[in-house]
Order: sequence, then C-alpha cells, then structure tokens
Amino acid sequence: MTATLEPPAPTTTMTVPARVRDRAQRDPQRVALREKDFGIWQEVTWAQYWDHVLDVAHGLLALGVAPGDRVAIHSENRPEWLYADLATCAVRAITMGLYPTNPAAEVSYLLSNSGSKILVAEDQEQVDKALAVAGELPDLERIVYVEPRGIRHRYDDPRLLSWDDFLVLGRRHRADHPATVEERMNSAAPDDVMTLIYTSGTTGPPKGAMLTNANVEFAIKALVTEGGFYNPPPGPDDITLSYLPLCHVAERIATVWVNAQAGTTVHFAESIETVQQNLREVQPTLFFAVPRIWEKIHAGIQIRMASASLVKRLNYALWIRVAGRIGDAMVRNGGRPTAQTRVLYGLGYPFLFRSLRDRVGLRKCRAAGSGAAPIAPEILQWFFGIGVPIYEIYGMTENSAVATVNRPGRVKLGTVGEPQPGTELRIDSETGEILTRNPAVFAGYWRNADATRRTLEPDGWLHTGDVGVWVDGTHVKITDRMKDIIITAGGKNVSPSEIENAIKASPYVKEAVVIGDRRPYLTALIGIELDTVGDWAQRRRLPYTTYRDLADKPEVRKLVQGVVDGVNSRVASAEQIKKFTMLPKELDHEDGELTATQKVKRAAITDMFAGLVDGMYGGGRSASGRPAGTAP
Amino acid sequence: MTALLTDRGGRGSRPRGRPELYTSYSSDIALLNTPAKRAGVLAIVAAAFALPFAVSDQVLVLLGTGLAMSVGAIGLNIVTGYAGQVSLGHAFFVGLGAYTAAVLSGDPDGRLVGFGLPMVVWLPAAGLVAGAAGLLVAPLATRLRGLYLAIVTLGLVFLGEHVFREWDSVTGGPGVGRDAVQASLFGNSLTAGGAVLSGAQKVYLFALVVLIAAAVPARNLARSGVGRAFAAVRDRDIAAEVIGVSLTKAKLLAFTISSFYAGICGALLYTITRTVEPNSFNLLLSVRFIAMVLIGGAATISGSIMGAMFVTLLPRFTQQVPRFVPFIGQGVTGGGLLTNVELEAMLYGLLIIAFLIFEPRGLFGVWLRVRNYWKGWPFSY
Repeated sequence: MTATLEPPAPTTTMTVPARVRDRAQRDPQRVALREKDFGIWQEVTWAQYWDHVLDVAHGLLALGVAPGDRVAIHSENRPEWLYADLATCAVRAITMGLYPTNPAAEVSYLLSNSGSKILVAEDQEQVDKALAVAGELPDLERIVYVEPRGIRHRYDDPRLLSWDDFLVLGRRHRADHPATVEERMNSAAPDDVMTLIYTSGTTGPPKGAMLTNANVEFAIKALVTEGGFYNPPPGPDDITLSYLPLCHVAERIATVWVNAQAGTTVHFAESIETVQQNLREVQPTLFFAVPRIWEKIHAGIQIRMASASLVKRLNYALWIRVAGRIGDAMVRNGGRPTAQTRVLYGLGYPFLFRSLRDRVGLRKCRAAGSGAAPIAPEILQWFFGIGVPIYEIYGMTENSAVATVNRPGRVKLGTVGEPQPGTELRIDSETGEILTRNPAVFAGYWRNADATRRTLEPDGWLHTGDVGVWVDGTHVKITDRMKDIIITAGGKNVSPSEIENAIKASPYVKEAVVIGDRRPYLTALIGIELDTVGDWAQRRRLPYTTYRDLADKPEVRKLVQGVVDGVNSRVASAEQIKKFTMLPKELDHEDGELTATQKVKRAAITDMFAGLVDGMYGGGRSASGRPAGTAP
Repeated sequence: MTALLTDRGGRGSRPRGRPELYTSYSSDIALLNTPAKRAGVLAIVAAAFALPFAVSDQVLVLLGTGLAMSVGAIGLNIVTGYAGQVSLGHAFFVGLGAYTAAVLSGDPDGRLVGFGLPMVVWLPAAGLVAGAAGLLVAPLATRLRGLYLAIVTLGLVFLGEHVFREWDSVTGGPGVGRDAVQASLFGNSLTAGGAVLSGAQKVYLFALVVLIAAAVPARNLARSGVGRAFAAVRDRDIAAEVIGVSLTKAKLLAFTISSFYAGICGALLYTITRTVEPNSFNLLLSVRFIAMVLIGGAATISGSIMGAMFVTLLPRFTQQVPRFVPFIGQGVTGGGLLTNVELEAMLYGLLIIAFLIFEPRGLFGVWLRVRNYWKGWPFSY
C-alpha cells in the first residue's frame, strides 16, 4: 500500500471501512493501532491496517461470502477483531460478535440464531466451544482460528482454517480480482445491516439487534463528530485503550468507530487482568468505562492507601478532603470548575492529584465516560474531585447508544443528561417508560418479528424498557428497568437499582440484589468485594480461608450492616432494607448468574438463592442454616 | 555511544509523556530509558564538569583520587558483584597497571627503567597488561569458588607485593619508590599547572573523562547477554551451566575485564598522587576496594562510584573529628583515647557491618529506597 494523492473513489454511502480506507490514503504512515505482544507495543500503521482489511475482505470473498451473510467473531480485543469486522462490512456482510466468556451453550445459540456462515475464533478455547456444538450448526461453513497453538496438526475438522492460510487465500484472490472489494463497498446501501449486536438478555435468550449503515452513520455523527461520547470531540492526537468486549456496542463505538472517524490511536490491553498495568503505560486521553471499572479503580485506591506509610496516608487524607470539596463545588456548578476549585486543585496537584492520576493511568485523560449501567453519584463526584470528570452517557444497543448524555458544564449528577442532538425523547405518561426516536434506532431484532413489534413503534419510537423522569425539564433521570420495579405487598413502588447502587458505592460491596416484589418489606442479597474485604480482614488480623468463609464472619456482617444502615438512614422507610443475607459465592457468568456484561440476572438469582430469600421472610432459618441479618 | 544512550533505535514512535509505553526493544532496554533519567544523568555530568571551578585544588585532588578509585571499584564490581567471584587480589592488578604506566611513560634517561611513551600508549597498555594477568589467573577461578577462590587471590596479593618490593629497577624499592606516571596530551602536561587550568583541575578533568569512558561500557556490559551470563553464574553456577552459559568463558571474561579496569585505575591513580611506593599495593588496598563495592552496592555501576567516592572522602571527614570530639587525637602521634586514623579504620568496619545488616544493596540501595518512595507516591507499593 503506497500513498497516493488522488482523491478516494466516490462512494454513494459512507461506511466505517471507507473511513479507514480514506485515512490510509491520507496518512499512511501514522500509527492506527498498537498491540502489546512479547512485552512491547507492536505498531500497525493506517496503511497496514487497511492492507490487512483488504486481505481479509478478499479472503471472505474467496470463501464465498455474499452480501447479507453473517460472519461471527469470537475473540478478545485484538487487531484481528477489527480486520475481520471491517472486512465483513466492506463486503456487505454482517458482523456478529460473541463475548469471549460465552459458554458453549450460548455460543451454540448465538451461532445458530444468527445463522453465521464463517466464524473467526481466537484460539483453541473458542474453537473448542464451536466444535462442541458444531453438529447443531448447519450454516457454519468455516472456522478461521487466529492463534494456531493447540489446533494446528491436532484438529482435523475440515472446516478449520488458520488465519495465515486465510490471508494467503485473500491475497491470491486480491491478485486475481483486484477491484472486487472496492466494487462491493461502492454498492453499499444505507439500509444494509452492518452488524448484529446481541443484547445481554437479563431475561430470556439474547436478541440480535440489527444496526444498519444509516444507524451507524448517525451514531458516528452524534457521538464522535459532535462530541456525544467524548467531549470535546476526539482527534488524531487522542489515545485510547481497548479492553471492554468489542461485541458490546459501547466498546465498538469507543474502539472501532471513534478510531475510524477521528483517527485516534487504539491500544489493545493484553487481557482483562492487565488493564490496570496497561492503563498506566498507555495513559489514554479518552477513557470509557462501565461503572464496575470505575468502582474498582476507586476501591483499589482505598486499599492501597490503607497500607501506605503514615506520611503518605496523612497527605492523602488532607488532599482527598480538598478533593471532596472540589467535587462538591463542581457538581453544584454543573461540572464546571469554579475559580475556587481551580486554585484548590492547583494546590493539591503536586501533592496528590498528579501522582494519583498517574498511578491509575488517568493523568492524561481529558474526557471520560461511564455508561452501560447506572453508576453511583458518589463515585462520579469523587472522580470530579481528583480532576477526572466523568460524563454519564445513556443509550442502548437498540438506538446505537444514541439517547442522552451529560455535557461538560451542564452536568446534573444522578441524571443521564440531556437528549443528544437530533434525538427525540419522551416519557410515557402512564408507564413512565422512556421512548426515543432518531435515525440511530435499529432496524429490528434478527429473525424475531414479535420482539421487534413490542419494542419498535411503526412511527419509529423505541421502547427502551427503562423508567425515568424529567429533572428540571432538561435532564433525564432513570429510575430503573421497567420489569425490575418492585411493588411491595403494601403497594409501594420501589426502584431497586437506586438502593442497590447506593449500597454498591461502598468499596466493600460488589453485588447487591434488592428483593421485595409482593413481599411485606425489602430485603437484600449482598455479595462482598473479595479484594477490599480481604484486605480489611487482614489488617484486623481476621483469619479467613475462602470467599464463603469470609462472607460468613460476624465481623464482616457487621461491616456490611454499617453500609446498609448508612443507606437506610437516607431513604424513606418503605425503601429501607429490613434484612439482608450474604451471598455464599461470587456471582459468575458461567453459572448463569450474570450476563456476559456482568449484569445480575435478577430472576435467576432469586430462584437460585430461594432458600436464602425465604429465610429473610419468616421462613425461620435460611437454607444454609445461617440466620438472616436483621436491621434495627 | 549515542545509540547506547538514547532510545531512538527501532521504529519507536511512542507518544509524549508515556515513559512506560515501549514500542521497540531497544527503547525498553535503553540505559537512559526515561526522560527523568536522561535529565538526571545530564545534570550530574554537567555538575561534575563544573566542579573544578568551584572548589579548592586540595579537594579536587581528593575528588580526582575518588574518580580513579571508582574505575577500580567498577572493575571489582564486575567480577565480584556481577559475576559473584570473590577476589581479594584486586590490589595486585592495580599495582600492575600503575607500574606499566609508570615504566612506559617514565623518563628514558632516569634512574629507573622508562620509555617516555605518550598517554595514548601507556593508558591502554596499563589496562591490557593487567587484563592479561587477569586472564592468566582466571583458570584458577574456573576450578575454584567461594572461600577457596578468596584464599588463592589473597596469595596473589602477597606474591605481587613481594615482586614489587624486590624488583628495584622498576619500582625503586620499598621506602623509595619512583616518580609516577608522566601524563601529557598533545604535548600539554596533564598534571602541571598551565595558563588556563591548574594542575589539580586538569588531573581531575582527566580522571572524570576516563571514568565516564569506563563506566558507560561497563553499564552496557551489565545489560547485555554477557552481563546476564555473569548474573546467572553468580546466582547458581550449576543452573547457569544447565541453561547453556559456559562457566569457563564467563569467569575468564569477568576476570579479564575486571583486571583491565584495575589496571586503568592504577595508571590513573598514580597520575594523581605523583609517586608510586611498592608497599601500597597490599591487602589493605584490596579490602578498601571490597568496602567500596559493599558500601556502594554490589552489582551496580553507579553504586561502585558512590562507594569509591564515599570511602575516599571518609578520611577527610575523620580528620575533622578531633576538632569537635575531645578524646580523639589528631594524627598518629596525637594524644587521646583514639586517633583519627584509628577512628577511620573502625568506621570502615562498622560501616561494612551496618550496610550488610541494614542495607545489603549499599548506597545504591539507599538511593533505590528514596527513589521508590517518591516513585510510589501517593501509595507505598
């Protein structure tokens, strides 16, 4: 690929791969991607990026991929994910991503429901999952594996094809039919479905949301160009870290679409375990995280400070108090710094804020976002205080994540912000459900007309399934998922997620599930954060063996009781947690308690721990023989 | 040399302000791999070059001696710190270097043997002769280790002392000695005072340049495959052999390089002190070098320099002590409970014990602690 000064061939429809092609022509030697491999960050320039996409696209053509065919990608975040995604889009096929943590049963469902023709699997682990259910997948023609270790010379399934052989196939096809991919790209239509994104499905099996080129184009305009995702809008000098699953719409925006539109440099984290380390190395200027990550960073700082030396603890205590004041003042000022906060921040910068942000990898972070789940306002305010303003964004797969956002200077904590430009939003007066309408609203669920009818009105309004209210007529506050609203036996409507988030704001609590639908009072199942509570126990010389053992300690119960009491004192009596029980295990995706995006499957939990729940409602002793906690 | 000092190798294009984001191996293993290190080293070197214009000649001579000793300490650290081979014979190699330089540079018409050769000949020759001697001794090290090696190298010192004492035509004999090295560069004497610089200033700068030229390759050696082989031999010689490190080659190399540095140190040292006395290359000198390595920090180059400067400057401080402490007398003949010379000897012992117990990594370890304290800020780990 060499640089040419000729203008790019005109296309009728702008697409994500077309953006990468144009940038590769304009700026071929600039670095587009970096991936840490063998200890150093290997670089991929824009020219190499596009060259790879072309090879893969030709490879797909050589395998007979026709417009509208589905190509599944089952991999951690890595450049090959992007090559496969863009190549699929370039040949007008449909990308379908799977979570690396999906167990074989879900892989089977997703591949057969989407009718995927090609599967790009990262390694032996993912190939095994597909092969285990390969008999049920008549549509699956080829499995392309990226890492040959454990597969090459061992597996002899005729459908297997290594990534290298696949590229050779593509290059041969490219030499024989050089312009075919370009022709396919030029014939792209706005209504082409570009990707299937399966919603996490806290109830029932996942549904595949179809996003078209037009949806994505609107999303890119609203979220990237106009700063709806990162504000101020990203540019070529920005640096990002890709670590959340790419099959989720939020990370797809943050990694693929932001990168293609704005020319940022994407860094791929080695794995989810090394995110903290990679963050420090990369020091991204833009950072999007789900609440769980923000909570983890916050809790991690508390743990490490607790074991710091005296002088450092005093220094931290002093300046974090100042940070609290800064955060408070900024929140009251709509997220804007005031003259006073600027002075205070400047004073604290050399003592704490600079080094603290450097250590957690947010020193260069100029725009941060949180989304995909509700976050506790306390956490946001804390990060405002240390100089990392996080803007909460609201959206869902079905509207390509374009709904509302908190904009700098107009932040209202506890709300998800104002509707994005070009987005209509109304709240149903009867049910309180939020409805949105904009060109990013999806084309429907894949092969599921019933669900589409229930969600999408004929005139384009999307039922979000979230209940919300207007705040001051401009901002939207989400109360809860519609189906999660609890109506107690006393007839009170209670939103569990608000209470849960208040409890989870404590660094000691990882999971909280509030129960009380058609019950006389509210109760909760609470899971502790093993890291922080373990550290807490160690400092108190409290011996423990396993998670379960630690959770059962009376001292830990007392600790959690304190957290629950704190929350109870702030809410109305109908919303108070009367009793709680500790979860005996860490919730897990594999065991069906969490979705792939780590959201709690409420129904599954209440079924699985029915004994514990009944124990809190006068069933005497709980199933496991432990007495339920009682709040005063 | 610039390739060693900068991280411009490879196609590294790391974004600004991200010192830990390495895009090529050469930048990862660069000696000065962060901007802070580059700035720090630059500041220290600049300060070292500015020093002669700020302090008195007397202090400069002392500092110059420290710089010369640093070269020798680096040498001992290579064989003892990096490769783990205890050597008590370092003084012998220093003596070899000193006499080689003195003979080659000496007055051809003088009382003793001399050839009147220029510095470009005698300085490398001092290193090479000592290095060759090291190469001859090294086979002993390949057969022995630990205590046995220490005893054998101890024998070397006594052997050397005897030869130096008896070979009058070269050394001038005990109690008499001979004129030391005649150093000149392009006809300008490096030791006599001139129009611009005094003799002490010149000799200090000369020692500084030689030290930098010696320290950088040594530091580079430590991070290379050879350096890693040394460390493997030190940590467990059998394991090193199993992973393919040739013990013979590693030990041979360690002794040769170490002795080469000792030779350079000897030549440099007696450029500064002006006379060579055969009795000075005794066990005490070897022990002083070991003290430098232990106090400075084993297996570190900057630690060797710190240790050498510390040990060299220590007498200067103990000389001041009698003024403030009444029961410590001045000089050998001074009254009081202790003399400052005795105090100095005791301090050596105390310092070595204290460092081994409290900070086995020496002064370098102290520096590491200080650095990590601030590096970890606001956390403790």
